[in-house]
Amino acid sequence: MIAADIISDGLFAAVAAMGFGSISDPPMRAFKYIALLAALGHAARYCLMTFLGVDIASASFVAAFIIGTGSVWAGKKVFCPMTVLYIPALLPMVPGTYAYKTVFSLIMFLQGISSPTQGSEYLQAMIFNGAVSFSVIFMLAVGATVPVFLLREKANSMTRGSRYI
Amino acid sequence: MEQKNVVEIADFIARYLSYMLGAGVHTSRVVRNSKRLGDALGVDVSIHTSQKTATLTVMDRVGHVKDTRVLDIPVFPISFEWNADLSALSWAAYDRNMTLDEVKTKFEELVSKPKMNPVFVLFMASLANASFCRLFGGDIWAMLITFAATMIGFFTRQHLARRHVNHYIVFIVSAFVASICASTALTLGLDSAEIALATSVLYLVPGVPLINGVIDITDGHIQIGISRLVNALMLIVCIAIGMSGTLMLVKDSLL
Repeated sequence: MIAADIISDGLFAAVAAMGFGSISDPPMRAFKYIALLAALGHAARYCLMTFLGVDIASASFVAAFIIGTGSVWAGKKVFCPMTVLYIPALLPMVPGTYAYKTVFSLIMFLQGISSPTQGSEYLQAMIFNGAVSFSVIFMLAVGATVPVFLLREKANSMTRGSRYI
Repeated sequence: MEQKNVVEIADFIARYLSYMLGAGVHTSRVVRNSKRLGDALGVDVSIHTSQKTATLTVMDRVGHVKDTRVLDIPVFPISFEWNADLSALSWAAYDRNMTLDEVKTKFEELVSKPKMNPVFVLFMASLANASFCRLFGGDIWAMLITFAATMIGFFTRQHLARRHVNHYIVFIVSAFVASICASTALTLGLDSAEIALATSVLYLVPGVPLINGVIDITDGHIQIGISRLVNALMLIVCIAIGMSGTLMLVKDSLL
């Protein structure tokens, strides 16, 4: 049952990554690797958060690191820069709900401004949602960039000798 | 090298640079690729970038002939295909000693490639949002409603964008349309209606500029990184405004 949960999590994350990625017009040859990386990363984050109780930001960092490292390997195969592979793969993990709930809490705070108790509750919700969304986005991007820092030369010559131009 | 040649090279590099920045490539890659292209053509390239304009200096190594200009960055839809192809072009120019004319011809060929079919993108984005709904714990009915709501919302976005409506208005309207369609789940009394409603607008979240912004900041291009983040933040505010319109109508409360 646990295995089925993990696999279905990866599977739906892969579909989400391909779909959200397709909005930004990636090369057709990159799709299968985007799906693979997104599935690995999202399933890893799911395992860390559900079974090991890791917080969302650290789990996102680990997942992004896996995706970033995978994109070094896959980028060389399809002659795509790392960002072309890892940004779409990260998209399902971008904390969209937290981001717009930050704005909602602000609106509700302004509506309940005359009642101090209610007002402070919404203000707290705003800081909570804002902090989570900012740190997760930050950790996602940094986690995926760490392999670039470690492998400067290799990471910057992914498209060298491309067969596709 | 004559002034005329330097100006010609600067013309081309300016075009290359503005296409890459316009299509949402992170700054350090654009700078690196432009310098490599300059290397291949025998000139030094220095660039200063900001959100809407860039400054470019091209200098010949032998005669110290210079050309400096400020260029406007056009707005293109984000394109990873251009990112990959134009990066490969800079390496090809460097490795194969291509002449300026050859590089120019190749560039025109690469940027005029047809884009992905909009109907296919519409279908994929709807499918993506439906599986997102599943990741948040929605059941099959919530997924179907999210699929339909996203399809209508994304269709609205594509059509408004094609008519060059201001993109803030596009985001507000499409968030409103998608969430009002998803609110039918509440009317039908589904168990996971809340999830369908909450995920219906997620296809709009500007994930690429958000991640690009942080990448730019970690690379030291802090100003343009912050510009990108602020830009994305404005779009998120627009999504929240559009969605709060629906929530005020159907629920009287936002959270």
